[in-house]
Amino acid sequence: MPTVNDFLLILPEVVLLIWALLILLIDLWIPDTKKYYTAVLSAAGLVISAGCAFALLGRTGSAFSNMVVLDGFSSVLSILFLLSGLAAVALAYDYLKRNAAQRGEYYTLLLFSIAGMMLMASANDLIMVFLSLELLSIPLYILAGFFRPRLASEEAALKYFLLGAFSSAILLFGIAWIYGSTGHTDFPGIVASIDGGRANYLLLLIGAGLLLVGFGFKIGVFPFHMWVPDTYQGSPSSIGAFMTVATKAAGFAALLRVFLVLFPAEAPIMAGILWGLSAASMIFGNTVAIAQMNMKRLLAYSSIANAGYILMAFVPYGNPVIAQEAVSSALFYLLAYALTSFGAWAVMIALEPAESDGLLLQDFSGLGRKYPWLGAALLISMLSFIGVPLTMGFWGKFYLFKTAVDGSQIPLVLIGLLTSLVSAYYYLRIVMFAYFKPGEPQIQPGRWASVVAVICAAGIFVLSFIPTPVFQFAAQMIMGMK
Amino acid sequence: MFLSEIFSDPAFSLVPWVVFFPLAGIILNLIFSRRWEEKLTALTACLAAGGSFVISLLLMLALTHHPEGATITLLEWINTGSLQINWAFRVDTLSVTMMLVVSGVGTLIHIYAAGYMHYDVRINGDPSRYSRFFIFFNLFILAMMLLVSADNYLMLFVGWEGVGLCSYLLIGFWFEKGADGIANARAAKKAFLVNRIGDVGLLIALFLMFWNFGSLQFDTVFARAPEVAAATPAVLLAMTLFMLLGVAGKSAQLPLYVWLPDAMAGPTPVSALIHAATMVTAGVYLVARSHTLYSLVPAAQTTVVWLGALTALFAATIAVAQNDIKKVLAYSTISQLGFMVAAVGMGAFTAGLFHLTTHAFFKALLFLAAGSVILGMEDVRKLDETNLSDSFHHSHVDPQDMTLMGGLRRKMPVTFWVYLMGALALAGIAPLAGFFSKDEILAAASQNGLLVFLVLLAAAFLTAFYMGRQLWLVFFGKPRSENAENARENTALIVLPLILLAGLTVLGGLLNFPGSLALEGWLEHTLGKGINGEFNSMVAGISLIVSITGLVTAWFVYSRYSGEIKKLDPLEDMFGAVFIGARNKWYVDELYHAIIVRPLEGLSQQLAQPVDQGLIDGIAVGFGSLTKAIAQSWRSIENGFVRSYALALLLGIVLIFSYLVIR
Amino acid sequence: MTAVQIVFLAVAALTLAAAVMVVSLRRMMQSALALILALVGVAVIFALLGSGFFAVSQVVVYIGAIAILIIFAVMLTQNSMSPEHSQMNPGFLYAALGSALLFSSLVFILSMWVGFYAIPVNLDPSVDTITVLGLSLTDPQGFALPFEIVSVLLLAALIGGIYIARDHHRD
Repeated sequence: MPTVNDFLLILPEVVLLIWALLILLIDLWIPDTKKYYTAVLSAAGLVISAGCAFALLGRTGSAFSNMVVLDGFSSVLSILFLLSGLAAVALAYDYLKRNAAQRGEYYTLLLFSIAGMMLMASANDLIMVFLSLELLSIPLYILAGFFRPRLASEEAALKYFLLGAFSSAILLFGIAWIYGSTGHTDFPGIVASIDGGRANYLLLLIGAGLLLVGFGFKIGVFPFHMWVPDTYQGSPSSIGAFMTVATKAAGFAALLRVFLVLFPAEAPIMAGILWGLSAASMIFGNTVAIAQMNMKRLLAYSSIANAGYILMAFVPYGNPVIAQEAVSSALFYLLAYALTSFGAWAVMIALEPAESDGLLLQDFSGLGRKYPWLGAALLISMLSFIGVPLTMGFWGKFYLFKTAVDGSQIPLVLIGLLTSLVSAYYYLRIVMFAYFKPGEPQIQPGRWASVVAVICAAGIFVLSFIPTPVFQFAAQMIMGMK
Repeated sequence: MFLSEIFSDPAFSLVPWVVFFPLAGIILNLIFSRRWEEKLTALTACLAAGGSFVISLLLMLALTHHPEGATITLLEWINTGSLQINWAFRVDTLSVTMMLVVSGVGTLIHIYAAGYMHYDVRINGDPSRYSRFFIFFNLFILAMMLLVSADNYLMLFVGWEGVGLCSYLLIGFWFEKGADGIANARAAKKAFLVNRIGDVGLLIALFLMFWNFGSLQFDTVFARAPEVAAATPAVLLAMTLFMLLGVAGKSAQLPLYVWLPDAMAGPTPVSALIHAATMVTAGVYLVARSHTLYSLVPAAQTTVVWLGALTALFAATIAVAQNDIKKVLAYSTISQLGFMVAAVGMGAFTAGLFHLTTHAFFKALLFLAAGSVILGMEDVRKLDETNLSDSFHHSHVDPQDMTLMGGLRRKMPVTFWVYLMGALALAGIAPLAGFFSKDEILAAASQNGLLVFLVLLAAAFLTAFYMGRQLWLVFFGKPRSENAENARENTALIVLPLILLAGLTVLGGLLNFPGSLALEGWLEHTLGKGINGEFNSMVAGISLIVSITGLVTAWFVYSRYSGEIKKLDPLEDMFGAVFIGARNKWYVDELYHAIIVRPLEGLSQQLAQPVDQGLIDGIAVGFGSLTKAIAQSWRSIENGFVRSYALALLLGIVLIFSYLVIR
Repeated sequence: MTAVQIVFLAVAALTLAAAVMVVSLRRMMQSALALILALVGVAVIFALLGSGFFAVSQVVVYIGAIAILIIFAVMLTQNSMSPEHSQMNPGFLYAALGSALLFSSLVFILSMWVGFYAIPVNLDPSVDTITVLGLSLTDPQGFALPFEIVSVLLLAALIGGIYIARDHHRD
């Protein structure tokens, strides 16, 4: 029988799913003019779930005969997903209203997707990994096409769906190979089989490679990134912002856990593949971003490059000491990246008129003079993306580079540094438009996007004064992993 | 707050609030000041500064019971292998003395500024800058508190740069004003650049320190100092001398003093708080804090003494010939800072810090009173009549020119009396505060060497002389302009802090009164036994006679100054070229311009054309356009077709498999 | 070569041929019918492997429901692909090359595995696999949690399907 403990360990997920269903029902009785309540309700659900996650912080254990585990890693990421969800709700409310797409399904689907991400971070069985990946993806396919029948939105959804289904199939194929090799899908069983010498090494390696492709698609690294710019551009901006942060974090959650737990022995071989993916993403993302004049596409390429940076620290994961450091740096960077990315998207959403496919860089002209707060938020976000000191982005990159240096990945660090330099070009160009070009940007009705922008910018700045405690917290949280 | 750490006194754990209070003030004013009235904005800022003062008082009380102090770690800051630095606050007698001075004088000046800036923003025609002023002011208190409460050199450096930034922002507060509309901005830039030279020195000192000690934490550095001094004395000498360069920049000593007179372009409360009472004393604090290092290097100590003594005399000669009421005080500040630097250089730390404290009182008083005079000369009544409108055009008479004043004694009686207190204290007349503190420095100097003693004595004579000159020009005689004729006393908000500061000026001597020596015993806990400038009745007598002689001489010369406009200064009649030289600041600015600024400009012109625009730009632009071209060509991979995207995915998988198979 | 092996080879060849026909035939209707043939082939392979339950589900779910749905969809919509149009997209050579490489490397790797040449063992006929499957899907110590997640997943897909299908021009 399942004990209370089993349910307690997945309480945040359970609360969120039940809440999502309630919202679906309640929304039927909320008239179109009062959709405010739906947004507030879903925010409340996210907050309650986050409260549960906070209460569980520091607890460890596994539930449902090792289907899921709760540890510091999953708790921290769950909270990150829930906070991203809050940001996505705050960014969506005014934006959906402006685009005449205020429908309760948005919030239900968003909550489903977040529940999938949280399960993904705590999955301890390859079947759970696959199912939670689907649970996070399918609502996102719909959300990407939420502005149907607008063509760009439909296109974004269809491309995401087709390629997502393709990559899911590849992931499932990989799981089949691993099952074929070890006879297990649960992590402890696989590990025991590998340690006992009963697993077939070759099959395991192929399985690992296929899993990497599946996760690589979700985190959007080169060459599995192709969907990223089109989908981000066509999707509703609030969903674009949510995907750049949360989907990527969820992909990393599964990638880090699966590779650390299941394939530490394969690290020398996998390192080569990870090296290539990381280097190619940094180079490709940062270079092509230069040619972008559309803010959404620019941020999409920037997100590809950032995935490369996080992967960089993970290349030498075979060394257990480095692996700990790499996971802590990755968590730290994900936090920094979440603040930075939401900050940038929020500024754009605050200015984005209805029926638009994202602002052009020229549209930011005059922002600094006309709206000093939004201009400052944009400036801080861009500096953080570049990695200028006194921002969280600086410390995030600092820890990633340090981990890579500790793992003696000097060439990769050099590529990272050089591409950061290249990235300064396009980030600063946005700043240049905002501060040095005359123009009359017009802020759209509703202030929630501006609030998110300012909060994120403040977070980027303030937390940069206390990087060590934040990093120590991340390091302490992942101590019990495995 | 931090239960894991046990302090001898729980009040010590309050120390981070000396920074948090101003921070709260800044945040509140940033968010709300646009909607608030001026009074609420000012009140918030004053309460923020006052909160810091209350905390400092509590810390002082705690220290009287537990003089050993404590170190409170707020947060880990940087922890990367060999470099470990925390946001940690140090509570000891030295830091708390500085905190009291900064927050105490700071609070009074905040109150004064609440009234002063009300008029100033209207005279200068931009009332919207009222809240900006107080945000900068609170930011200054925050940075200064960080500086004096730091437990390591890096945090101190953050505060050091922070006060530099505030100084820059506040000097250029009316950045579009001044001669040609850019003089104020130029003054700010000059202060910033000259301070950068000093900061580079300090930064080099810190690098040397980290290189040789492996730490920037005070205790660790001081504990290892004797060891390093024995092994490599040259390193310690270089470290202390580079640090001295930082001191010369921040505390306006030779040869980097040139920024301070120009800094008077800022509003008067700024001159009083930042450029007289607190920020400029940061250098003195730095030397006192690093006394362990300096006492190990006698050569560095000698350099410090002579730097201070020469600055004291040099600046005093310039002060004699200035006509701008604030410029006189500015040079006087440089001169008095010279006294302090010389004192800490001799090892007479108590004397130096005693003078620092009393100087903060009476110089703040003098500046604020000068501000009161300036407001009086501005003729605020007209402002009231025109309903404080933005379009008010004030008269073209320079309100700071002493040759246009005179006779203000009757027009502004309170201002006169407090100014008199401050001037006499600065001149060193017993029993005002300045007498005791300056006397201690002179006593220490008499033990140090005759030459230094004589130089400082000469500076003391000139000090008394130029203060006497100022008193006569401003307050006695007949009004020499229409504005002086119409001057009148200011509102209570402005006068009240003056009276309080005057009280401190009169009573400040009690801090370290001969016989009790309270301050000395207090600071001994941190600084150890230095050279104590014991009360020496002969030195005291000499210095008193010198001071009175100075004042009397000034009276002789200037009581006959009828003050017809454009008449020559009587001293010019007597000394001619020498006086002209002093009035033109011995042409130091022109000298710097000729030997440093102009050659640099020439060099940069030479480099700009062929090297930068040709070579460097060529490389940069070349790389830029190459990257752009690559970006454009790669961009075409993203052609919009799902089938191409799927193909890319497939090729990725093939690559991974090929790697796995071929490997 | 046993009879089972001969049947397997024949069915496998048929399935592959049908799969190729699905993508190569010009008429949508013919493609749909070829799809049914391929699905039947997979069902037979399930049966050959001794998994009767999966064979039956394959027939009921995929042929009985999904394929029929596809045929309806084809009949209800117009022929989007006119016979004159080329069926190859410009990058098809690369795709073919990539797929061939992938396939050959998979075969190559598999060929290094000893199990590749081993003779399959027959499952114990006394074990009722359907009961075991059913029990493990509902057993909390088995796959109850994934089973529930699947239900949530389908619900999400359902909501999404309804949302997409709704006539957005009307409201």
